[in-house]
Amino acid sequence: MKRLMKWVLPVAAVVLLGAGWYVGLAVAPPDREMGDVQRIMYVHVPLQWMAMMAMFINFVAAVAYLLSSGGNVGTVSAKPRSSSPLVSLLALVVNLMAWVAHILKSGWGLLMPGSKEDEARAKQDESGWKLDSVAEASAEIGLVLGTAGMITGSIWGRPTWGVYWSWDPRLTSEAIMLVTYMGYLVLRRFVEDPDKRATWSSAVAILGAINLPIVWFSVRWWRSLHQVQSSPRTVDPAMVLPLRISAFGMLALLLVFLGYRYRQAMAERRAEMALPDALPGDVPSSLPQNSSKVA
Amino acid sequence: MMTLSSLMLLAQAAPGQVGSGRIQGGWGYVWACYGITLAMLALYAVSLWVRRPGASPDAKE
Repeated sequence: MKRLMKWVLPVAAVVLLGAGWYVGLAVAPPDREMGDVQRIMYVHVPLQWMAMMAMFINFVAAVAYLLSSGGNVGTVSAKPRSSSPLVSLLALVVNLMAWVAHILKSGWGLLMPGSKEDEARAKQDESGWKLDSVAEASAEIGLVLGTAGMITGSIWGRPTWGVYWSWDPRLTSEAIMLVTYMGYLVLRRFVEDPDKRATWSSAVAILGAINLPIVWFSVRWWRSLHQVQSSPRTVDPAMVLPLRISAFGMLALLLVFLGYRYRQAMAERRAEMALPDALPGDVPSSLPQNSSKVA
Repeated sequence: MMTLSSLMLLAQAAPGQVGSGRIQGGWGYVWACYGITLAMLALYAVSLWVRRPGASPDAKE
């Protein structure tokens, strides 16, 4: 596994991206309309695909975290102050997941008395931190790839549309998506309590994921400036090979980044857990320990 | 399903059949996209290397 992360995947990423981009730039034909400018597709499209994939991984990890640590989800208010039906629905879903997870956890505790219960809880905590670390890693990488995708798309727009930016549905929903994940990462930096940080950011991740299908299908729902998705089914067969090779190269790079960022996030979680709650005499015992700056 | 070799043949044969496109030139935009992407990916890789567990001198103490 270590060899795969250290050598196989990075080398595969460099080789595949190099080969895909070479074929795209030097061998593949120019587009009938866009000419050579269309060669931007071999970098723009794989970036966007992998950004969407990273954000989907973030969503799955967030939902799995909430399900695996049901007891902590109670911090999300059962009765949201907002009257928005979307927020109410999300709060209901999160709380339902929390209750189901809590019931499952209680039942498990009855079956596993004493030290075995503690052991099971420790294992559950560890798996929760793993999911939280995956969510953090995927959000950051998704943001990097998505930003690069948006910049390349913007440059592509200049010679084809005449402008770098337009409030087209695809571009607008993509911008909202990037701002959401930026907010997700900012939230994580501001909350010190690991439990609250993981729970709150999971709720934001689920909210952010609502936008993912809107970004993906926006070009079909609202036919405007942006063309429909470029994929092996929608582009000329001569352009399929470099697009596929570049996409697999970007996938390998995504996995490499995910692996390294996940290790870093897990090291941070373990360091936080190893820290003493407070030095004796520093904090009155009546105050909650590990309190957050925000909470 | 098309094999890789047949896709490669198509890719090599197509430039002769298709013109150079309605938009002429534009290679500057193409190089800018590839350059910016490479720079961003390289910078992010460096940031991961710098932030790797155990990289900080404090962590060794």
